[in-house]
Amino acid sequence: MKFTPKHIDENVNVSKTHPLGELAWLVGGMLLLALVFYLVLGVTADLAVAKIPIKAEVWLGEHFVASFEANEDEALRRRLQRLLDNLPADSPLHQYTFTVQLVKNEEANALALPGGHIVVFSGLVEQAESENELAMVLAHELGHFAHRDHLKRLGRGLGLTVAAILVFGEDSAISRLMSNLFLATESGYSRQQESDADRFGLELLVNSFGHAGGATDFFARVVKKAGRRVPYLLASHPHPEDRIEELQSLIRENGYPVEKSAPLGDDLLSETEPEQEAETAVDQ
Amino acid sequence: MIMTNVGSVPGKKIVEHFGIVQGSTVRAKHFGRDMMAGLKNLVGGELKGYTELLQESRQEAMDRMSEQARLMGANAVVNIRFATSSVAQGAAELFAYGTAVKVE
Amino acid sequence: MLEVIFGNLDLFLFLLLMAVGYSCGTIAEKRHYKSIIRREKELIKLMLVNAEGHFADGAVNNSFLVSGSMVVSNDYFKRLLAILRNFFGGRVKAYETLIDRARREAILRMKEEAKAKGAHMIVNLRLETSTIGRSANKKNSVGSIEALAYGTAVVMNRP
Repeated sequence: MKFTPKHIDENVNVSKTHPLGELAWLVGGMLLLALVFYLVLGVTADLAVAKIPIKAEVWLGEHFVASFEANEDEALRRRLQRLLDNLPADSPLHQYTFTVQLVKNEEANALALPGGHIVVFSGLVEQAESENELAMVLAHELGHFAHRDHLKRLGRGLGLTVAAILVFGEDSAISRLMSNLFLATESGYSRQQESDADRFGLELLVNSFGHAGGATDFFARVVKKAGRRVPYLLASHPHPEDRIEELQSLIRENGYPVEKSAPLGDDLLSETEPEQEAETAVDQ
Repeated sequence: MIMTNVGSVPGKKIVEHFGIVQGSTVRAKHFGRDMMAGLKNLVGGELKGYTELLQESRQEAMDRMSEQARLMGANAVVNIRFATSSVAQGAAELFAYGTAVKVE
Repeated sequence: MLEVIFGNLDLFLFLLLMAVGYSCGTIAEKRHYKSIIRREKELIKLMLVNAEGHFADGAVNNSFLVSGSMVVSNDYFKRLLAILRNFFGGRVKAYETLIDRARREAILRMKEEAKAKGAHMIVNLRLETSTIGRSANKKNSVGSIEALAYGTAVVMNRP
């Protein structure tokens, strides 16, 4: 037997494609897929949400946000009622039975939860200086209900996260990356949704109080606290400064009168201080 | 002890078979090595610590196998095969087996 | 500028790891292939077959077992590539060079051992590949593969 050693320079076991080229293809395909998925899911969620009857939403809210029902806040309730009384007669909001809770939390914020639950953080009440300002925030949240934004948000964010987990598995790095991305982009309402709710809130405020005083106070305070705009590439929240500008141009366009806002009522002021032990921790 | 992985010992004659002998060892990588390997995992390339660890372990498995063969009265192990399997998280079993024979 | 970097620290860290992984991995791979090819040419005269081989009486002086192995892991960049490829399916090119390098290196180390001990040929070569540690795609894992080559080195009686 003769043994003839041969050396070949060609490597048949390794593909010739450049890894960066492959990365470009893969990432491109992934983004395309995600985009298609996002659009399809977004459109279906928006269409479906418009079709969900309010009764079904109330039922959903009862089952998933049950912990909120116990402690309604009387003082906030009276303020909300005043706004509700001034809604136009054909407003779909009349089908909700709204509840409003005060939750002890330093953050100055309010939430709209499915089923007509509004949660106001005590930080907001403490910082508020006028009735009009508080009414504007409540009216803004009512605007989210009127446009069904809270359901749309739930639909999209959940859908995308669930889809990412299904595709990549719960533990994989990529699904964590994706869910972080979705949480960042989908955890807030979109710019459009916020400004629609602002518009709705402004109209309701003017209907209830007869003037637009105090409409921008809340955002003005947020701006002062937050300072300059900190850009975060993954965020899509509208900046409060933009919202103030938009509200002011709305007030000018419609010729709403602006008068001095009424100071905060005593019933609320007394409530934010001693009574708070009663508030139970709420899952956020 | 002569060890080969062919059916016989080249150039020698098998006069007696004693049956299968085997040696195995389960080893876990230790903390320091794992940390280094974790760093190395970033840039890729050879994990020298692991290569050495597995070589040592394989040598131990072979030593155990040849000890077994010696106790049988053999002077060679032929047809040796190796197997590696991860039995638990972070631990691997190195396994060697062959046929103990007497050659002359 | 600093605010932007801190605000997106996770994103920047990820990109940095990718870049480091890619550059270091590519350089290391090139260097390794160069050394593999050089040593392969050096050792090409050492006969290597995976048949048992039959030897005439008195032709063999000595025979013994030789082995070589290497544990390698992929870099951050290629691991990501493999994860992405996992989704679409198809040829996982990111792992091709890794396994190829490990196996050729293992054979070379075996040959070097045989040569150092004065062998003229290696018969009955066997190759094995196994994963060490956890699966390469899981988080926080040290995913790596081991290539093992072993065979019987034969020293001939040469005039």
